[in-house]
Amino acid sequence: MINTPTENEANLLPGDLAIWFFIFMELLVFGIFFIAYAVMRLQNVEMFNQFQLTLNKEIGATNTLLLITSSYFVVRAVHAIRQGEVNRCIHWIYAALLGGLGFLVLKSVEYYDKFAEGITLSTNTFYMFYLSLTMFHFLHVILGMIILFAVALKAKRGAYSDQNYTGVETGASYWHMVDLVWIILFPLVYIIR
Amino acid sequence: MMKHYYNIHTVWLLMLLLTLTTYSIGEVGYGGIGVVLLLLITAAIKGGLIIRDFMDLKGVSFLWRAIMYGWLWIVCLGISIAYFMSL
Repeated sequence: MINTPTENEANLLPGDLAIWFFIFMELLVFGIFFIAYAVMRLQNVEMFNQFQLTLNKEIGATNTLLLITSSYFVVRAVHAIRQGEVNRCIHWIYAALLGGLGFLVLKSVEYYDKFAEGITLSTNTFYMFYLSLTMFHFLHVILGMIILFAVALKAKRGAYSDQNYTGVETGASYWHMVDLVWIILFPLVYIIR
Repeated sequence: MMKHYYNIHTVWLLMLLLTLTTYSIGEVGYGGIGVVLLLLITAAIKGGLIIRDFMDLKGVSFLWRAIMYGWLWIVCLGISIAYFMSL
């Protein structure tokens, strides 16, 4: 597909339209999950407040910084390909992937600590939400990284240029969605009490 | 003048700053509806910046922006109401 920014395209979504329907569905699922967490907390306020304190806020905040920075790198990749700078685009995507990898490593450390303490999905309602919500998001980070890696490989093969960058925008849009969800998840599960 | 400082780099830095603010509020351990609202408004601002500047939806049709910003505000509002009811 050829991209040439024209006035007609000015009000179109960046990337492939199909990814946006996927993004809307994902946001709907996460949105329901977030409201369900808040509603379930209503019935167990003390328990949620007590066990929220056991979470590692430092790791949560660092992961937020990593995802935001990774998203910023993806923006730089999109800007680079729009200017026809393929190599620079690939480098920014690799930098974004490093951010994603850092997120996965830190989250794994957090899970390891919790599992070492014998905490599982059935420990209590708070941990059920904490583990299922964050693991569901964890899987989305992995999927986002696979998409970005595929985009980088395609870019390396010369599939994208300043005239054709729909694929880069598509991967970028999905990655930003992963970031957007975490932006709500972090204060909701780790901070707000 | 404001436009001069508003770019993708300053948006990124602003989001890092807002994240550190959120973390600091959590560290201090303040609670109450005022703090809950402050944290949710901070999250909504960050989400808005991602939608507007990272996803680059600032120029797209109203429908798409309404879906994205609508999701953000409905989720934040829903959480606020639930937390308000717990106080």
